[in-house]
Amino acid sequence: MALNILVVDDSSVMRSIIIKTLKLTDLPLGDIWEAENGEEGLRLLQEKWIDLALVDIHMPVMDGEEMIRRLRKKDQYENLPVIVISSESDPCKIEMMLKQGATFIHKPFKPEILKEVIIDITGVNYEDKD
Amino acid sequence: MKTKIEKALEEATISTFEDICFMYPVPELKDIQKNLKLEAAAEVKYRGEFTGKLLIETRGGLFSAIAANILSNDSPGSRQKKDALGEIANIICGNIVPYLGLGGRGYKIESPKSLNKDELLKQKSQAKPLAKVTLNFNQGRVDVKFFVDDNSAAKEKKG
Repeated sequence: MALNILVVDDSSVMRSIIIKTLKLTDLPLGDIWEAENGEEGLRLLQEKWIDLALVDIHMPVMDGEEMIRRLRKKDQYENLPVIVISSESDPCKIEMMLKQGATFIHKPFKPEILKEVIIDITGVNYEDKD
Repeated sequence: MKTKIEKALEEATISTFEDICFMYPVPELKDIQKNLKLEAAAEVKYRGEFTGKLLIETRGGLFSAIAANILSNDSPGSRQKKDALGEIANIICGNIVPYLGLGGRGYKIESPKSLNKDELLKQKSQAKPLAKVTLNFNQGRVDVKFFVDDNSAAKEKKG
């Protein structure tokens, strides 16, 4: 199974970094969708089949915290794997994300770390690539 | 002896360049790198128990090389170069504020801002940074300076 991934970050450069890093993981990737904020992210979640969301915290319009809170209220996204990728260091904020069932990756991050976390939370493996 | 913040700034800068830009610093500063002309700068302000900013400056073609490496694009546009440098500053700053006390609780890091020549000149006349790191790359060098608005208020200790 190839993973369809949603990348939510207001910085186009950061989205490029994340997508580049995703490609370096050598994991089976399907479609990658990009959103500039939580609101756009939620809309794409409704429109597309998405297996994993990578979400920033600080974004205009709707931040990552609010996006995750809203998606967890919907039955179909209750168990959607979500990884928060941020340079946020406030332990209270990070704890809040973890309580919402998200996994936290601190920037900067290596492809190996991202790969490990994705395998861990999605169960995807290399055989799925072909 | 380096302070905790100086060590943290060096580590965060190195890992950001290695993990995000795939650029690896070389240990020695060559004479030619010492005299390189400043080409670009960006700053990120932070607010919390302390306020201040992180300033990043590039020389010797690094401004373009950072964006080219991040975006896998040999000819990045001006906007892309500014955004890439700002993003690097943002990541490094996020890694340093926890060293100011309270483990980073309650800090807000503002969006990065690219600085023009006038703003750069203004920066030069400002207070001494709490920590500073210079990294050398084949193409040039980067200087990262971390400022706290009132240095005397920082709870950082030597060692």
